[in-house]
Amino acid sequence: MVKRLADMPEVEASHLRRIECPTYEDTPALPGKPLAERRVALISTAGLHRRGDRPFRPGDGSYRVIPAQTPASDLVMSHISVNFDRTGFQQDHNVVFPIDRLRELVAEGVVGSMAAVHYSFMGAFPPDAAEPHARHLAGLLKQDAVDAALLVPV
Amino acid sequence: MGALGHFLERQGIPTTSISLVREHTEIVRPPRALWVTFELGRPLGIPDDPDFQRRVLRATGELLERTDGPLIADYPEEVGEEADFTGWACPINLAPQATDTLAAEIDRLATWHDQAVAKTGRTTTGVSGLDMPAAGQLLSRALAGDLPPAQALKEAVDDLRAYYLEAASAFPDPGTARKRKAWLWGDTLFGRALLDLQPRLAGSDDPQHRILANLTLIPATERHRLAKSQP
Repeated sequence: MVKRLADMPEVEASHLRRIECPTYEDTPALPGKPLAERRVALISTAGLHRRGDRPFRPGDGSYRVIPAQTPASDLVMSHISVNFDRTGFQQDHNVVFPIDRLRELVAEGVVGSMAAVHYSFMGAFPPDAAEPHARHLAGLLKQDAVDAALLVPV
Repeated sequence: MGALGHFLERQGIPTTSISLVREHTEIVRPPRALWVTFELGRPLGIPDDPDFQRRVLRATGELLERTDGPLIADYPEEVGEEADFTGWACPINLAPQATDTLAAEIDRLATWHDQAVAKTGRTTTGVSGLDMPAAGQLLSRALAGDLPPAQALKEAVDDLRAYYLEAASAFPDPGTARKRKAWLWGDTLFGRALLDLQPRLAGSDDPQHRILANLTLIPATERHRLAKSQP
């Protein structure tokens, strides 16, 4: 179980402490409809994509598209980092990319609907490299009438 | 991850996120984050536990109703250590032998990898476009001094790592994920090969090789093995 960095094994904690985090002016949290009326997209930073899509490379701030109907057997991960567990994803993609859980929450009426297309970045991106892609992605999400993005790290 | 929250919300898309490292999220300050105490690589907590995963996802989504961000909510459930009821001792003797080769080891695992695929219906190999014997050959050539481009090597190594760990998950007595990773790094010719390759890459004139050597080949938790492997 991972808690604060101070509670983690030192070798892992020191790796995480060395990661430089960007800082931003606070971004106001936008108001919106109740969750049961929202259309939700998953945005992963696990470096996921369909087998055969371009793998991620160091410094890559772009995203890959994962259509909602993508079979789990087509999903692979090309994140450049080796410092996180991949056996969970190997066992069950939903522990990283909870597409089936989102589908169930829609069926239960907890979430309004799910986007037609979901996306993955590769989280070791330099923020400046990802920002133009994220801006473009926001336009795509609006075209799909998405009004909530669930950001899932790895 | 937190940066994307800023980027998308500023473009008019409301966001909510899972945070695995609270200290990072406290610096980046995305609009909404649910902090979880799960292992890195498992943001939804527990594989093959749909109820648990659904609770985490729902709690993440419910933060959307709040506009008092930047906010970090603490998720109350924790995941304990994976229970280990097995006497895992590499029951099919995959430990390297003096006469063994990487190619033979890869070949011997194929039947277990087939079992794993039959069980889960999928494999996460297939990033490099190489089959496993070819990925092993690429690694062997690199060890012999013929270093391929860093990206090709990285993709082949990641595929092999997935292949080994998926295969091990189908062993008759598979143990915990932690034990299977210790097996990969401590008891296989593949793990040995990566440790032997690291100094060669680190000494390359190609900066991409050096990035691979120093950051993206050996996990931080396994780098202590490097010193032992140096001649």
